[in-house]
Amino acid sequence: MAVRREKAERLADEDLMPLVGRKDPEAFEVLFDRHGGAAYSLAYRIVGDRAAAEEVTQEAFISVWRSGARFDATRGSVRSWLLSVVRNRAIDFLRSRAGKAPKLTFDDDSVLEQRPAQERTEEEALQRETSAELRGALGKLPGEQSKVIELAYFGGFSHSEIAQMLNLPMGTVKGRMRLGLEKIRGDLAEGLA
Amino acid sequence: MNASDHNRWSEDLAAFVLGALEREEAAAVERHLEGCARCQEEMRWLAPALQTLPESVERLEPPPQLRESLMAEVREDARAARAPARPARTRSWGWLLKPAAGFAVVALLVAGVVGYEVGKDGSGGGEGGGTTVERQLGDIDVKMVQEGNSGTLELAGVHQLPPDKVLEAWVERDGQVEAVPALFVPDREGQAETRIADMSGVAVVMVTEEPQGGSDQPTGEPIMTMKVPS
Repeated sequence: MAVRREKAERLADEDLMPLVGRKDPEAFEVLFDRHGGAAYSLAYRIVGDRAAAEEVTQEAFISVWRSGARFDATRGSVRSWLLSVVRNRAIDFLRSRAGKAPKLTFDDDSVLEQRPAQERTEEEALQRETSAELRGALGKLPGEQSKVIELAYFGGFSHSEIAQMLNLPMGTVKGRMRLGLEKIRGDLAEGLA
Repeated sequence: MNASDHNRWSEDLAAFVLGALEREEAAAVERHLEGCARCQEEMRWLAPALQTLPESVERLEPPPQLRESLMAEVREDARAARAPARPARTRSWGWLLKPAAGFAVVALLVAGVVGYEVGKDGSGGGEGGGTTVERQLGDIDVKMVQEGNSGTLELAGVHQLPPDKVLEAWVERDGQVEAVPALFVPDREGQAETRIADMSGVAVVMVTEEPQGGSDQPTGEPIMTMKVPS
C-alpha cells in the first residue's frame, strides 16, 4: 500500500483523476492531501464555523470521488475545479441554513468578516503566507469593488441582491465586479498580485 | 453585433464568472458565449482572476478526523464497488488452451513459467519475513512480494496504455481463473502495481490489457505470466 501511495504521489493531479475515476483510494487520498487544506479553508471562509466547514468539505470530496470522471482538463486545473465544487457546496449549505438565500437584512461587514478568531500556530502562520500574498490582490482593490466581489463569491449573493443590500443600481454592481476582476487580472499579468 | 451590444454582454461576464447572475441571465450568457469568440476570449482572460479568490482565504489546517472519516467512506465505497463482481469472474483456466486464445497466449504462459524456472535464483526472503520473487519477462521486470496471505505485484517497463485501457491481473487457483479486483495502469515511467489480497493457493499470476472497467475474463494477450512458488 505504501508503494502504491508513493507512486500516486509522483503523479500530476491531471494523471490522478483517471485513477480516481476508476475508484483508486490511494490516488484520491493524494488528491485530498494536496488540496484538502485549501478546500477546508475556503469552506470555512464561506460558512464561518469549523463543524460546518468539515461537513461541506467532506461532502464536496465525496461528490468528486463519485463523479471524478466529470473533470474536464480543457476547462482548467484540477485544483480550481475542486475548489469550485467546494465553493458551490458551501454556498448551497448557506442557502439551506438560511431557508433560501443568505440573509438580505444584513450588515455586509459582518458577512465579509466572518472569520472567528483562531488558535494561531507557527505551522498555520507559514501556510498562510501564500494566501496572504493573494489576499493582497483582493486587498489592493478599492473597497467598493472588493466588497461586491466578496459578497458574490464568498457570500453567494446575486448581483440584484447585492444591489438591494448596498442600495445601488444593478448596473453599478456589475460594473464594479468587472472593474475589480479586471484589476486583479491585470495585476496577475504584470506579476503584481 | 455592434459595440454597444457587445458591451452589454461584456458587462455581464464578470457577474457570470462570479456566479452572481440569476439563473435565466446565466443561461442567456451561456447561449451567447457559444457563438461569440470575443466574449469567449474575455472569459479566458478573466478566469485566472477568479482562481485567485479561493486561494486568497486565510489558510487553515483541516482537522485530522476529516481525513480519517473521508477516507473511511471512500475505502468502504471502493470495496462495495468491487465486491459484487468477483463471484461471476471465476472461469476455468482451460480457455487459454482454446484455439481462439491463440498460440501467443500459450507461448507467453510457457515463457512465464520458464522464466520462473530459469530465474529461480531471484527468489528470496522479503522484508519482514515475506517472500520476494523477481523475474524479467520480455521487456517487463516483474517483482512479486508476498507478505503473509497477501501479495503485491510490481511491474516495470510496461508500455503506456491508450486512455481507454487498463491493466487487469488474474490469478489461477485450484484450476480456476479469478480476476484481481483492483484495476491498475502504468505511471509515466512504465511502472505499475496491484495488490492481491488473497494469495492462498495461487499457482500462476497473469496480467492482461483490458478495456476500462475491466473484464469478466481475460480478453487480451497476457503482458506477463508468472508461476508463483508454492
